[in-house]
Amino acid sequence: MAPAGVASGNPAAPRRANEGAPAEEEKGNEFPRVILRNRLTALVVDGSRFCRMVEQGLLQAYGLETQAVDNGMAAVELIASGANFNLIVIDMLLPVLNGLETTRQIRAMGVRCKMLGVTAHFYEGERQAFLAAGVDEFIEKPLTPDILAPILRELDSQ
Amino acid sequence: MENRSLREQIAAMRQSFLDEEILDTQFIQLEELSDKDEPSIAEEVVTLYFRETTELLPNLEEDMKATPIDFPKLDRILHRLKGNSASIGASKVRNEINKTMALLEEGNVEGAKAAFEQVRKEHDTLKAKLETYFQQLRQAGPVDPATPSK
Repeated sequence: MAPAGVASGNPAAPRRANEGAPAEEEKGNEFPRVILRNRLTALVVDGSRFCRMVEQGLLQAYGLETQAVDNGMAAVELIASGANFNLIVIDMLLPVLNGLETTRQIRAMGVRCKMLGVTAHFYEGERQAFLAAGVDEFIEKPLTPDILAPILRELDSQ
Repeated sequence: MENRSLREQIAAMRQSFLDEEILDTQFIQLEELSDKDEPSIAEEVVTLYFRETTELLPNLEEDMKATPIDFPKLDRILHRLKGNSASIGASKVRNEINKTMALLEEGNVEGAKAAFEQVRKEHDTLKAKLETYFQQLRQAGPVDPATPSK
């Protein structure tokens, strides 16, 4: 499911498979480094298969253990079954149960972990609605290391 | 020797993608996510992206021609296409989708149709370029750990 090859023992420096001229290495290395002291887990909730791949890939590159589901109901059920996560990355547009309602239901279960809402396209009013539903932050895709790194440092220090 | 010049070519291609803003740093970061022992997640993700767009784009064309236009449906599909495009770093495609969505929001259907033509165009250009790019990467083969990079 998730790219198994992503180095789990080396969260700070995912290796480059494709080398160009040596000078490219410095220029191309965009990865803010975060070395986790704690074991952190994340859940990705997204209806798009490769958005899941990309987001999981990124989280795993930082050393998190991840799971992914492709709809809101599955997320609610997973959490209701007792699964715990330090971070939930949730798309607003989800099949079966939408992102807003999924977030509300997760929060209603007493879950206090960090929830990061994502969307492909910002609409006015969406931001407020998603925040009101219970996400801690709301970003437009894609999820990037620049956005993730500070979140992970914060989670790791708790 | 041959391999090295191929790698330089590949690096130049990659740089041109960035310079022309066809792709942004999201794509570079996807490449950096790859472990050297595994096939590139970037290629996997890109392949999947184009597999999805092969379905999404014709559907969008049909929906844009429909009378009356089902705006919510169009919006959902464009939304998905935008998210996918952003996730691989396809910035020109993403920008054209933004324009299309904005025009639809205004109710300017003719404008949106024209903008969507641009989406198609940028998408097809990107597809052709990435096919070449990954082909060259495969030709170049995995980076040989025995060869020190200077």
